[in-house]
Amino acid sequence: MLKGKRIGIPRAISYYNNYPFYYGFFSGLGFEVVVSDKTTSGLINKGSACVVSDTCLPIKVYVGHVINLLEKGCDTIFVPSLQSTGHKINNCSKVRGLPEIIRNVVNRSFNMIEPTLDKTEGLGLKSFCTDAANQLGIYDEDLISSAMKKGWQTYNNFLQMAKSGIPHQEAIKNAVSGRFSLKNMDVVKPLSVVIMGHGYNLFDERISMNILKKLEKMGVKVYTGLNVSKEDAISAIHNIGEIQYWANELDLTGAAAYYMQNRRVDGIIALTAFGCGPDSLMVDEIQYHARNKNIPMVVLTIDEHTGEAGFVTRLEAFIDMLSRRKKKLMSKTAHLKLLPEKTSEKKETKVLTRA
Amino acid sequence: MQANIEKELQTNKFSQMDDTIKAKDRIIAWPRMGRIDIPLKALLLTLGAKVVIPPANSNEVLELGVKNSIEGICLPYKLNLANYIMALENGANTLMMFQAPGSCRLGNYTKMAQKTLKKMGYEFDMVIFDMYKSKMKQTLQAFWHVTRCINPFKYYKAFSLGFNKFFAIDEAEKQMFYYRPRELRKGEAERYYNKWLKIIDGTNTIIGAKSLVKKIRKDFKNIEIDRKKDIPVVYLLGEFFVLLDPYTNQNIEKVLGEMGIEVQRQIMFSGWLEHVLKPSFFYKKESHRERCVRYAKEYMKRAIGGECIETIGDTVYAAKNGIDGVIHLMPFSCMPEIVSQNILSKVSKNEDIPILSLVLDEQTGKTGYVTRVEAFVDLVKRKRVRKEHPQAERIKL
Repeated sequence: MLKGKRIGIPRAISYYNNYPFYYGFFSGLGFEVVVSDKTTSGLINKGSACVVSDTCLPIKVYVGHVINLLEKGCDTIFVPSLQSTGHKINNCSKVRGLPEIIRNVVNRSFNMIEPTLDKTEGLGLKSFCTDAANQLGIYDEDLISSAMKKGWQTYNNFLQMAKSGIPHQEAIKNAVSGRFSLKNMDVVKPLSVVIMGHGYNLFDERISMNILKKLEKMGVKVYTGLNVSKEDAISAIHNIGEIQYWANELDLTGAAAYYMQNRRVDGIIALTAFGCGPDSLMVDEIQYHARNKNIPMVVLTIDEHTGEAGFVTRLEAFIDMLSRRKKKLMSKTAHLKLLPEKTSEKKETKVLTRA
Repeated sequence: MQANIEKELQTNKFSQMDDTIKAKDRIIAWPRMGRIDIPLKALLLTLGAKVVIPPANSNEVLELGVKNSIEGICLPYKLNLANYIMALENGANTLMMFQAPGSCRLGNYTKMAQKTLKKMGYEFDMVIFDMYKSKMKQTLQAFWHVTRCINPFKYYKAFSLGFNKFFAIDEAEKQMFYYRPRELRKGEAERYYNKWLKIIDGTNTIIGAKSLVKKIRKDFKNIEIDRKKDIPVVYLLGEFFVLLDPYTNQNIEKVLGEMGIEVQRQIMFSGWLEHVLKPSFFYKKESHRERCVRYAKEYMKRAIGGECIETIGDTVYAAKNGIDGVIHLMPFSCMPEIVSQNILSKVSKNEDIPILSLVLDEQTGKTGYVTRVEAFVDLVKRKRVRKEHPQAERIKL
């Protein structure tokens, strides 16, 4: 019985923010969760062959991952439609219409689990989960709510770990395997930046060209949306005089606004996919506020053809500019102690096992 | 409780109407889209307001918009912003705009425009009607706010004039679409249309406005037409603004009409207005949107914002009703229409209907665009001949 019950989750779009919840939920229902392989150029090519050219990179990647799952022999695939995550807080149309795109561009027959989350219309998480379970043929309410609880448990562990500064992949791995560890945040580095970008762009090593590791190597402390709690992000958005309009806004405007307050970082990097609708507005918003507060900002646009060399050059130039700027500021305020050039990283990782 | 407070914070911040400008000092302007200026002008003048109409959309207008807006935003916003700037330059101090949060980037237009214009140093009040539930109330509130008119009869007159003018303009447009490919003397249908626009603009009584539609139908019958000519029918579908604004879509209706194609448009401004403002219990028959949802069921199960579901539903409807082809218009990087473009390729295959997707932006060259439309028209005509004579192997057109 258990052997046949497999569900595939594409490693794209909502995977990066919500996978621990999905994992906890579906394993709570008694399913084996299959995740597609990591993004490669071949996978992107397969995806882009199916959709029209105007579609943005993350959707092409998503289609590629669905095809990858089908090739792996998994014929039940979870494709959620996350319409809105709050009252009048909507997602981008392409994310909302993911099941519609997949149904019409992937010319193979498979079983698609497509629940809808639409809080504007009163379809909350409970109905989202019930919908998903019903489509899988499970109608037992108690089982569903216990699975949801399990999902929340995994998800909360993941959030806490990620917030403490553990790298995204490791946090997901730990959460899924039931481990719990926290990292000491106080690693001193000469420079710090915040990257505003969707989780699916930022944490996908192929799409973001490993920007996080590259920056770490340059001696830059990187903050992302995962390091900010939801409440902090919302209040930061209100503080700079904006409202939350997009569902993903917390990862972008929220993170940037939070670190912009009191100048917690030296610079802002925006990582956006070419042709992304919400990003064009959010980046502009932050650019406006960054200019007012005199914080340097760079916008890096990516698509499937982005050459890595040009990308790195721009990143290096920006970091160079930041460090020069900081030195200048420091020499002006000589009474302040200069930060050490190189610091020994102290890793204090506690590993606890949760029963 | 927490959720309620959040809701308040989210809604009121940008749709607040301040009273810094007195009602009698208000000079009102709104963005241009096709000919909506005629009915809106009548409506506001009847309520006793002063209005400024910005110049019609053109290359200069677009240039001004492009200069002052961000790169990634869609085309309609750029034109809207330029309209606002020109209106403010001409003395307006109150801007009106509707918005529909939750559809697409449209919900962000007013917020962004406000910020950009304030940055440019203009002083104004922006009145927004939020088209999300309780729309009639919102609309009335907005008009009350800008005019402070308390006479209910004036409201009746204003809305009746406005609505009837909308219907009349759409009727004239429909008639023009029908007569343009069939007319014997070239340009006559358009001349009639322009003549009627002037008459509609000049009408000032409720009775006069109500009889406009009938008069238009009767008058257009005077155009001499070629009854034997075989006219293929093509649906125009896609994004709302580009469909309704002839500058933005490079007057595709005229291009097609002159090639001998009858254009039909499912999205008309009056139809949309009726759907949005009329309370649902007044509806006896199925509305356009409901029909689209029904027809699109096989391809789409949920609405995803914008006009995506309308595009899909209408295409299937067209295929089932023997329409010869569909032209799908969208501005560059329009999110809902990219989804529908993806779905349309499957609809085209399954329902056997030719579809041409045209992406419009500020750099669209007219020649390349006309070439594609010509090729599409050839295809449609050939397909039509094939359908009528299935045995014929080769037919010379």
